[in-house]
Amino acid sequence: MLLEINKLYKSFKQADHGKIDVLKNINLEIHEGETVAVVGQSGSGKSTLLSLMAGLDRQTTGSLRLRDKEISEMSEANLTQFRAKNIGIIFQQFYLMPHLTALENVSLPLEMFGYEDYIFRAKEALEHVSLSDREKHFPNQLSGGESQRVAIARAIVTRPSILLADEPTGNLDNETGIQVANLLFDLVKTTGMTMLLVTHNTEMAGRCSRQMTLQYGTFQ
Amino acid sequence: MKKPYSFFWSKLALKELLNNRRFSIFFLFNLALGLAGFIALDSFKESLDIHLGKNSQAILGADLALTSYVPIDDKTLGNLESIFPENTMSTQKISLFTMVASKKRSVLVQVTGIGEKYPFYGKMVLRESGKVIPEMVLQNLDFKKDAWIYPELLLMLNINEGENIDIGETSFRVIDSVIDDPSSSMSSFGFAPRIYLGLNKIEETGLLSKKSRVSYQYLYRFPKGTELKVLVENLRGKIQKFDDSFSKIRVRTHKRAANSLGRVLGYLNDYLGLIALIAVFLAGIGAAYLFRNYLVHRFQEMSILMSLGATRQQTYRMVLWQLVFLGTAAALISIIFSLGILPLLELLLENFLPRGFETNVNLSSLVFALILGSIGSLVFCLPVLTRIHSVQPLMLLRKNNGNHGSETLILRQTLSYFPLIILSWILSVWQSQSFIVGSAFVGMLFCSVLLLGSMSWIILMFAGKLSQTSGNTIKRLAFRNLQRNRAGAISCFVALSLGTLLINLIPQIYQGLQEEISRPADFRIPSLFLFDIQTEQIEPLKNLLADNKMNLNYISPMVRARLEKVNGRKYKSDFNEGLSTRERQREQGFRMRTLNLSYRTKLSDSENIVEGRKLAGNYDWNSDMPAEVSLEERFAERMGLKLGDFLEFNVHEVPISAKVINLRKVKWNSFQPNFFILFQPGVLDDAPATYLASMGGLDRLERMNYQNLIVQEYPNISVIDVTRTVERILKISDQMVLALRFMAYLSIMAGLVVVFSIARHEVQGRLWELNLLKVLGAKFNDIQKMIQIEFAILGICAGLFGVGVSLIMSYGIAWWFFENLWKWTWQTSLASVIGVTTLSVIVAWIATRKTLKSSPLNLLRSS
Ligand SMILES: Nc1ncnc2c1ncn2[C@@H]1O[C@H](COP(=O)(O)OP(=O)(O)O)[C@@H](O)[C@H]1O
Ligand SMILES: [Mg+2]
Repeated sequence: MLLEINKLYKSFKQADHGKIDVLKNINLEIHEGETVAVVGQSGSGKSTLLSLMAGLDRQTTGSLRLRDKEISEMSEANLTQFRAKNIGIIFQQFYLMPHLTALENVSLPLEMFGYEDYIFRAKEALEHVSLSDREKHFPNQLSGGESQRVAIARAIVTRPSILLADEPTGNLDNETGIQVANLLFDLVKTTGMTMLLVTHNTEMAGRCSRQMTLQYGTFQ
Repeated sequence: MKKPYSFFWSKLALKELLNNRRFSIFFLFNLALGLAGFIALDSFKESLDIHLGKNSQAILGADLALTSYVPIDDKTLGNLESIFPENTMSTQKISLFTMVASKKRSVLVQVTGIGEKYPFYGKMVLRESGKVIPEMVLQNLDFKKDAWIYPELLLMLNINEGENIDIGETSFRVIDSVIDDPSSSMSSFGFAPRIYLGLNKIEETGLLSKKSRVSYQYLYRFPKGTELKVLVENLRGKIQKFDDSFSKIRVRTHKRAANSLGRVLGYLNDYLGLIALIAVFLAGIGAAYLFRNYLVHRFQEMSILMSLGATRQQTYRMVLWQLVFLGTAAALISIIFSLGILPLLELLLENFLPRGFETNVNLSSLVFALILGSIGSLVFCLPVLTRIHSVQPLMLLRKNNGNHGSETLILRQTLSYFPLIILSWILSVWQSQSFIVGSAFVGMLFCSVLLLGSMSWIILMFAGKLSQTSGNTIKRLAFRNLQRNRAGAISCFVALSLGTLLINLIPQIYQGLQEEISRPADFRIPSLFLFDIQTEQIEPLKNLLADNKMNLNYISPMVRARLEKVNGRKYKSDFNEGLSTRERQREQGFRMRTLNLSYRTKLSDSENIVEGRKLAGNYDWNSDMPAEVSLEERFAERMGLKLGDFLEFNVHEVPISAKVINLRKVKWNSFQPNFFILFQPGVLDDAPATYLASMGGLDRLERMNYQNLIVQEYPNISVIDVTRTVERILKISDQMVLALRFMAYLSIMAGLVVVFSIARHEVQGRLWELNLLKVLGAKFNDIQKMIQIEFAILGICAGLFGVGVSLIMSYGIAWWFFENLWKWTWQTSLASVIGVTTLSVIVAWIATRKTLKSSPLNLLRSS
């Protein structure tokens, strides 16, 4: 079992001292090589769930185990290392470093951890997303679709155990969105990577091996 | 997992800086400008120290000098010299102050008799004959009645070389003028020009016995490798055991001589340093503001890095790297700037500089600049840096991340200001070389920043209110913008008002001083001041003047004495070589002095009793009671004496005990003969005394005539032309003020750079908003007007408050240090309010012009 979520709750304190329960009793198991889509309306808690899985936030109660490690029990420092090694994240807004070239953006996580072959591996990753000819371009010289492809290359370059994508095509027009989605699914298929995809695009969700619908904070 | 190779983070940091070129350039320029004055001053100081250190032997003319106010007899001298190494060379020098007269004029000079070997180090250069060698002293000065004089005396006495002058009872021929000599290294600063005579010829003037103070100096040159320190200690040990007046022999090393020469300039430097520190401070405010905006824009990138596996420490360190990069670079640039400022400083301080002095940028100043640049920018930006703690990669998944100011954050924020305060404190104590002045300075600085900061806060609240009621849309928007961008507005306000404060403070204090020195309230400054009048000369002098319808005022006796015991215990001047601060140095000098005692039947109108009762009338020698004395208040404080203390004086070897009955306050700027210690009449009447007196109400010609008249008749009496001296003091202090103001202008420049960068930044941050206004129909002029109103309000408020606080402060300073010498010069105040407002509007206009002109088309381009 790669990921195991058990009775997960998440609530936020409000300014008026009340609290809202965003996630209630979430249970989920993801096996190696699976692709899981989480769909739901805006505000249903999808991003919150993803942030817990990525260890970017902590749950209120419940357990969340990745590769048999309880994420909530890790120290901040350990978690950072663990995340860098095991989790790749793709954001809706791409979030590339504006002052680094495409290649530098991709090699960044490798360089940060001292891989010697970082250039080679980054180039390889860029090839996977068919952007070899854009190595030296800065983010403001890339289109939205290209930017997201660079972001995908950056997420997979460390060969993480699981890829978490939060509405990766949400900021793209339909056609480009489809191209990026094709690329993403191709990559996942050829590498056999595990992926959790948050989307409200039903067509994209349909291409995953499993679909979960989040409503009012729980899976329906 | 492995570690990244060592330069990874710094490389990344540098890349980010290069990418944010505009921020980097402004940050650099701003900081460099602030540092430049400081660095220039440091180089200047350092050069001065090096110069004095290198030339210390030439300044004294010897390795060591023994100074005494009575000639040291052969036995005593032999005793002291017995510990000197073999092959020690010795020579002698005698100096006193006296009048010299030509046929037409007379002036106060310092007459110095020199032995043939003087000086051992350095050189004495004559205009005609060049460098002085021992034969010249022997053949001219010692053999004939020849004199070498300072060139300015030719003019003052209206004579040519070859003519004769009268010194005491003897006439001397001026054969050459001195263009360089050892101790005159501080150019025209000395008030009495010098005349050199032969050592044996000075005796023939007949002045040695008639002068109240003659200094006998015995100069020595030791063989190479002599341990001065040990010698000095041994000498002092021996001297302490002498009982009579020889126990007052002073041992001076060449190092000490150089130190005291540098002291005047040292003081000025200290204050210049403090003002330069304000420039650094203002630049720091600007830097912190710029950095704050930069940092806020970096938050997203930091989050990305953290989501990719960077730890918080690593991102933190990266930002620190950036600050260190920038600070170091700024320091390097400031060194280049300071090269431009140094010659200016030299020009401004010309009159105070030793001859042959050259300023150079020293290695130590360079290192200091780099340290101050890097550490300083870290310390200044620390309060901003604490915000990094609120960065969460989680925000990448959210649109708005609410940033709750938790209590730990507020605590951290508060704590983060401490390094800044401590650094400023250390710097200013170090700059002023005085714990008290430095601390007072930092205290005042932070109080005024706090005060001005909270005032601007109130103004902004008020602007907020106005924005709701004021009719015109443009005005309303201007008010609202001010209120919305508080950090920017407050930084601008503080920077501008602090600059204004400074520029006003210096002349404001000086004005009062100047006013008082030249025209003290209720007093008429005497025109001439006479001293060294012998007892038997009093009556004839009075008669002589009466014949010329002139009065002699304030005739006061002066008796020299030493303080031996206080309350039965020996009075110690606690001697110690390693003097640290200026206060201690001054105090030390003070305690070692020989004292002048006087007595008078009633107090003069320039003094009044502040504590204790009036002194009793004539002393009764038959009573067992000690004599009654009155002390000047501040003198008592510095000597550590209190009301009721029993003092024992040694008056020409006669012990006289006295009790402190009252403390007096004296208006010294009345220029009347006043004394620290006044006895009741009847105690000192028979002690050998010389008299002081003054004459008033004379114009230039009369002053000259009376001087000539007195000197012709009584060559031993010295006359000081008070009017001329006051003019001279004012001229010199004018120059000091000019130098101080120069530094103050540098600091307002730093303030304007802050305004420039803030204005520019604000407008860029609001670009889409401004463009939207244009799309909605606002004209270019309207928008420009809006910006101008904003900065005009800032300028006016900053100017007004800056001036206001400077008035309060200068009043406080005047009250505290100068006893209420205060006068409001409204012209300066008005000019600076108008100036600051105009400048701030203009600077804002320049900073925003280009951005404001940009086309609203950009709205469609950027997402
Ligand atoms: N830090 C927070 N504090 C309070 N409420 C939050 C916070 N983060 C998210 N929420 C709330 O949680 C709910 C789910 O948000 P999110 O997970 O972003 O939804 P989705 O990604 O499905 O659109 C929303 O109602 C949002 O307002
Ligand atoms: Mg979402």
